[in-house]
Formats: sequence, C-alpha cells, structure tokens
Amino acid sequence: MTWKDVVETTRETEQWPERSFEDLIGSTRFDVHERAHIVVDDTVCRDCPSRECIVACPAKLFVPTSDGGILFNYEQCFECGTCYLVCNNEGAITWTYPEGGHGVVFKLT
Amino acid sequence: MADVDVVVVGAGPAGSTAATVLARAGHSVILLERGPFPGSKNMYGGVVYPRILDQLHPEWWEDAPIQRWVTRRSTMVLTDDQALTVDFRSEKWGRPPYNGATAFRPDWDSWLASKAQAAGATLVCSTTATGLLRERGRVVGVTTDRPEGDLRADVVIACDGVNSFLAKDAGLYGEVDAANYTVGVKETLGLPKEVIDERFAVRGREGVDIEILGGTGGVNGGAFLYTNFDTLAVGCVLKLPALAAQELRPEAIIAGLKRHPAIAPLVEGGDVAEYSAHVIPEAGLAMMPKMTGDGILVAGDAAAMCLAAGIWLEGVNFAMASGIYAGEAAAEALAAGDPSAAGLAGYERRLEDTFVLRDHRKLRRAPGLVLSDRVQHLYPEMIANTVERMFRVDNPAPKPGLRAIFNSERKRAGIKLADLARDARDGLRSFG
Amino acid sequence: MRITVCWKWVAVDGADPDDRWAGVSPADEAALETALTLAGNGGEVTVVTVGATGSDAGLRRATAVGATHVIRVDGEGLGARDVARAIAPIARGSDYVLCGDYSLDRGTGAVPAYLAAELGAAQALGLVGVDRTRVPLRVVRRLDGGRREILDVPTPAVLSVEGAVARLRRAGLAETLSASTATIEVVAGPRPAEHDVVVTPYRPRARMLPPPSGGTLARVRDILDIGAAPAHGDAVTLDPPEAAQRIIDQLREWRYLPRDTA
Ligand SMILES: Cc1cc2nc3c(=O)[nH]c(=O)nc-3n(C[C@H](O)[C@H](O)[C@H](O)COP(=O)(O)OP(=O)(O)OC[C@H]3O[C@@H](n4cnc5c(N)ncnc54)[C@H](O)[C@@H]3O)c2cc1C
Ligand code: SF4
Ligand code: SF4
Repeated sequence: MTWKDVVETTRETEQWPERSFEDLIGSTRFDVHERAHIVVDDTVCRDCPSRECIVACPAKLFVPTSDGGILFNYEQCFECGTCYLVCNNEGAITWTYPEGGHGVVFKLT
Repeated sequence: MADVDVVVVGAGPAGSTAATVLARAGHSVILLERGPFPGSKNMYGGVVYPRILDQLHPEWWEDAPIQRWVTRRSTMVLTDDQALTVDFRSEKWGRPPYNGATAFRPDWDSWLASKAQAAGATLVCSTTATGLLRERGRVVGVTTDRPEGDLRADVVIACDGVNSFLAKDAGLYGEVDAANYTVGVKETLGLPKEVIDERFAVRGREGVDIEILGGTGGVNGGAFLYTNFDTLAVGCVLKLPALAAQELRPEAIIAGLKRHPAIAPLVEGGDVAEYSAHVIPEAGLAMMPKMTGDGILVAGDAAAMCLAAGIWLEGVNFAMASGIYAGEAAAEALAAGDPSAAGLAGYERRLEDTFVLRDHRKLRRAPGLVLSDRVQHLYPEMIANTVERMFRVDNPAPKPGLRAIFNSERKRAGIKLADLARDARDGLRSFG
Repeated sequence: MRITVCWKWVAVDGADPDDRWAGVSPADEAALETALTLAGNGGEVTVVTVGATGSDAGLRRATAVGATHVIRVDGEGLGARDVARAIAPIARGSDYVLCGDYSLDRGTGAVPAYLAAELGAAQALGLVGVDRTRVPLRVVRRLDGGRREILDVPTPAVLSVEGAVARLRRAGLAETLSASTATIEVVAGPRPAEHDVVVTPYRPRARMLPPPSGGTLARVRDILDIGAAPAHGDAVTLDPPEAAQRIIDQLREWRYLPRDTA
C-alpha cells in the first residue's frame, strides 16, 4: 500500500468524516486588512510550467483558473513565505507583510 | 541624534531576551512587533527548552505559561504500515529545573516580552519594520509602516524571524535558496485532558513529545505529535522543493498522518482548534548569514539559528540564547561608544563559545543527512522490515540471525554498503 | 467643538477574558474617526470607556490617533443604563456624543439612547453617513427595507454610527510611543442601581398551533397567505414579447405586481 492509498482508503470513516479545507482554515483567525499584502502577477504565471505555489501554499491561496492563469486571494494567509521561496519566476510574486496589527493571529500554536 | 539606544525588531524569543538584557544594562530599548501582540504571528511545533533562561529569569518555571512538562520522548520510524518507536521517560524532567515543555507561542512570547517590559524596554506592537535607515554605509535605525515612522538608533538588532527582510536589506544574506527551507504545517486538536492522559500514559502536567521519521507522504521531511494540556499538536515539516515537486498538499499529508495505524488511535476524535503554518530555516550552518554589520546584529531564526536535525527540532532556545548574546554585545559596544561591526564583535565570539554555534558545527551534516533521500525513503523501510522479521515467528523455520536479516533487507532496499557506511559515519559524527 | 466618544472594550473571543484578544468594534472606531474629523484642529475629543484595567490598551490607542483626553470609568458588568449614567457627567457640555452602533459583543445597543435621555440631548442612531460641512450637522440614517432618512441634528446630540462610516486613521510612531507610557485617567464607577429594571432582549413567546396538514408547498402558501396558486405551472411556447406580457400578467395575478398599473 502506498501512502496515497492510506489516505484514500481511510478517507471517509466514522471517526474521520471528510472535512473541507474551508473548515480547516476557518479555525484560524485572520484580521484582514483592506490592502493585499501579496500580489501575484498572473501574466507571469501563464508561462510558468511548474506552478509550485499551487501545491505548496499551506493556505491553498493559489488556485489555477480554467484559462491557464492563477487566481490569488490574500485574505487567509499565514504570512509564512513558502510561496516566494518556491516560486522561481522573477516578478510573479510581490511579497510584503500586512500592515502592522493585521493578518493572521495565532492562538493555540 | 538617535531616538533610542537600540531598536530590536521582532518580539519573538530572540527579540525579547535581547531587549531584556539591554534594558537591564540601563539602555533605552524599543521592541517592535508587527503582530497585535507578541507571539500572534509565531507558530512552531510545540516544545520549548528553557534552561538558557536560568540566569536571565531565575526560577522561570514559576510563572512560565507552559502546557505540559515533557517527561516522555519518543522517536518513531513510520512506513506505510509499520511503526518502530524508541520511547524514553524520565520523572526528573517533571521537576525543577525541568527539561522541555509544550507551550503555545502566543502565550510564551507574550510572557517573555512582558519580562522585557518589566526590565524597562518599550514594546510597540502592530508596527512592521519596513527597512533600514543608513548613513554612510552604517545602519542607523529602521523605517516602519506608521506615519512619521522612522526610528533612529545606535544599534539595530534584527530578530525578525526566518524571512528576515532586515538582514537581507542589510546585505548580510547570500543567495536565498528554497532548498534550505522547510515549511511546518500543523493542526491543533482539542481533546479532553483525561483522554490525553490515558492515551499517552501521563498524569497531571506530564507530557509527551513524539518525533517522527516518515509519515510525510513520501515528501522529504518529518512529522511530530505533542501533547498540550487539553489539545494535541500534530503536523509535519516538509522540504520546500520536495513538497512543490509532487501532488499531495500539506493538509492532505497531515490527514494521512492522522490516519496512520500508529497515530490514528492517539488523535482520534480530536476537533481542529487551529490550523497553522510557518517556514523553518533548515540548513543550519550552511545557510547562516553574516551576523554582524555596522550598527546591526542578527539573531535567532533571522540568522538561521534554528537547529533542525531530525530527532532535534530546537529553535526557541537558540533564539533566546542568541538574543541574550546580541543584547550583551550591543551593551558592550554602546558602553565603549563603538557600535560598528568591530565594536559589536563580542556577539559572534559569544556564539562561537557557546552551544549556539558549537551545536551547529557538530551537527552541520545532520540536516542534509536527515533530509537525504536514503534516510527519507530507504532506511525507514529497511529498519522496520528488519525488526519485523526479527520479531516474526516463522515456525517451523528457525529464527534467522540479525545480521542475515539486515543484509538481506539492505539488499532488498537497494542500499550500497559504501553509502550505508558513509551515512553511518556522518550520523555518528553528528549524533555520536 | 467638544465631542465625547464612547468606546466599549470587549474580549473578542467571548469566553476568553484575555486582553490580547480584546478590542473595540469597527463601529466604535468609526465613531472616533468621525469625531476627530468633526472636531478638526482646535476641537476637543474625549474618549471614555467603562471597563477594567485591560481597556487601557484601547484608550492608549485612542490617545495615539489624536484623542485629546481619555478617561476610564472603572467598572465591569454594568447594565446599559448604569453605563450611560457613568458616562453622562463626563459627556455633559459636549456638542456631540458619538458611539458605535454596536459593540463587539453585540450588546443591547441601548447605551446611546439612555445617554441621550440622561443628557437631555437629541439623538440620531444607526447612522450611515455624516456630512460635516453642513451646519447644523446633516446625517443619514438607515431605516428598515433599505430606505434612508436624512436628518439635521441640533446640539447637543448623541449619535451612533455604523462601522462603514469611516476607517480609523493609523497612529503615528511618535504618538504611539508616547501613548504607550501615558497615564490613563481613571474615575470610580457607579454601583449598579438597585431599582433598575433588567431589560433582556425580546423573545417571542411560544404558542400552541394545530399540527400541520397538507404538503409542504401548501403549508408554505398557508404561512405566506398567498392563496391557491396552481401547484405546477403549465409549459407554453411564446414569442419574447408575448412571453414578457404573460409573465407580467402572472405576477399581477400572484400580487407581486400591483393589479392596476398599465
Ligand atoms: C513547524 C515548526 C516547528 C518548530 N518546532 C520547534 C520546537 O518544537 N521547539 C523549538 O525550540 N523550536 C521549534 N521551531 C523553531 C522555532 O519556532 C524558531 O526557531 C523560533 O521561533 C525562532 O525565534 P525568533 O525569535 O528568532 O523568531 P520568531 O519566533 O519568528 O519571531 C520573530 C518575530 O518578529 C516579528 N517580525 C518579523 N518581521 C518583523 C518586522 N518587519 N517588523 C516587526 N516585527 C517583525 C514576528 O512577528 C515575530 O514575532 C519550530 C518551527 C516551526 C516552523
Ligand atoms: S506564482 Fe510562481 S510558481 Fe506560482 S504559477 Fe505563478 S510563476 Fe508559477
Ligand atoms: S505566505 Fe504562505 S500562506 Fe501566504 S500565500 Fe504565501 S505560501 Fe500561502
């Protein structure tokens, strides 16, 4: 059995009802600021073959669109830095911290 | 004219200890934090090793906001359907001066920052340092995201964590390579205290720390499971390029971990109370920046001081220690009236003389070894299969010898003796 | 111009009394921003909060963004009327008293009304707009059903504003620093008055109803009182103009449109 099988075959048991990602990230608090602290230049993404951000962003904020672009939402972001580290394409991601006092607020971690 | 003697950027473990030392030495210190309170941005696995505070805050355990004292430490090797655990417990670790404790960072960092405030440092939250102020090549302060937000200081101590834009701005970092970083992802699961006590065989404030090799869905990295008072922390640490090169997303990898037969019974029924993620500077010595510049010191994760070497995942203690030494060195430089790189040289001297750089030197091969493909993908199975065959009763066949089993498993896994010998040597040099 | 702003400091996470997770509502913030712009240079803005020491953090922030005075009335767990009584002596003499129209804990929202009564002031509550260029002040109030009401308010008046009215400005660094060490004026709070009637939110009483009968659609119709419309529509094929007319007729019949319009 591979790891994937483990995940698949045990997916929906009594103890582990499938949980949506929205529920998961909904457990974390974010004080969203009106300014987007990360900006993604979709025109660069259109020529990106690897698209590392989609699988790597722990907040699942990079969503491929049907026309080959990337839809990015900044609101529920951990401010972790994974995206700018994995993305090899100059200019695709403009990354800053949100205005002081805003963004993710951890409590139990 | 400087507004203050020292600006410390980041009220994490490094920043708060640096500010405490400097304020006690009689210097004016501003401690800047971009979150609404210290610790609000800081996520980690879950165990602090606070003995470094013995001198700075004697009897720190009296009021430190801990969840449980770690009295049981397990190291687990997981394959898809096997688990090998080495389990150690010590009652001594449940009594002063203790060894490690699980704690929430929003609590721990707030507590540590309150000590800096008590010493006289001014904590300013909800304020992001956006860059450095320079004069004739020297760092003379920081810019912030508040109106009229420039802050001039004789010394800036960058304790701004793994992404440290200040250290990068100061030109202290070389090329930034994603291969030097891992991302940690975690779920905090709510469970009644009694259930946790029973499942993990602990009582009162005793707690368990489980470090896991394997369990990351084939992505190079590691996993962990820690007990808090009435929550569990379960998560994994994933090497960035390896994560990005495959298809399982981080939350799916945790989901798989939680369903592993060796883990599921421990975490079953836990409700997600918080989901979190943070990046770790994983490569240790190999990625450390220059730590001193004219008017600037870099401490903690900002200087990649986190020790992430398989069975060890320690960063808070390294951050607190480097914060203390940065504070001492800055105080020394200010007293001598020389905040240049030369005047601040006491910092690196202290780091070299103490566990901070000694551990990193000793363990310099460890991060590479632990995250190597052999250790990640071949050894766990080989070890688990060897143990499985050792304990299997294959009557009427007689018991085989350990060496014979090991050799056949090694061959089956396709591991060359020379590679094994080299890894064993690196392992012994690091961990021996 | 003198303005008093009332702030309520609330632990965001209901159960958790920890001040790290406490704050004031966007509406309270909007009230302060409105006050600061109204008062302009030379005006006086006093921020008052009734609460325990934890709320000092909020008052420091108010100082940092430009409040001229901040006062904390020491007290916890007071009813709306007691809060109004505690604030009244401080607010008396102000041209305007500004409140947020809700607090983070979504209390009864009765403080502004009680306060207006205590002060004998006019009141305009639930404002979505304030036009400071007009004298007397012109404000826009939200009514039910999306309608708006425009009022000219005399002084003194108690106003409560919605969060969207204004966004509180960001405090400068120097102001934040000096506010962080400023001493906060504290006055003793009142003891809760004994004769007060406790007001709880309105809850409709349960009453007995006959058990439902008939199908779901019939019951929904019953409740909505829309009479006996046919259970299913009939499918017809029509040209667009005819189809439009047909829809209009049907809507008239169902009384979604008035019957007499041409
Ligand atoms: C998944 C994971 C598991 C871990 N597990 C453990 C463990 O079990 N035990 C352990 O000891 N260590 C662990 N670590 C490592 C540990 O968390 C770090 O090494 C430690 O937090 C470093 O402390 P620091 O003070 O250097 O940085 P941080 O804790 O990152 O603090 C930096 C502070 O600076 C602030 N800041 C950043 N930029 C700015 C700016 N521009 N302006 C103002 N403020 C700013 C941040 O908000 C933050 O408060 C783990 C890390 C991760 C990610
Ligand atoms: S953000 Fe970077 S990695 Fe992601 S699609 Fe765009 S260019 Fe590619
Ligand atoms: S910083 Fe982290 S959470 Fe935010 S978008 Fe980038 S990868 Fe996702």
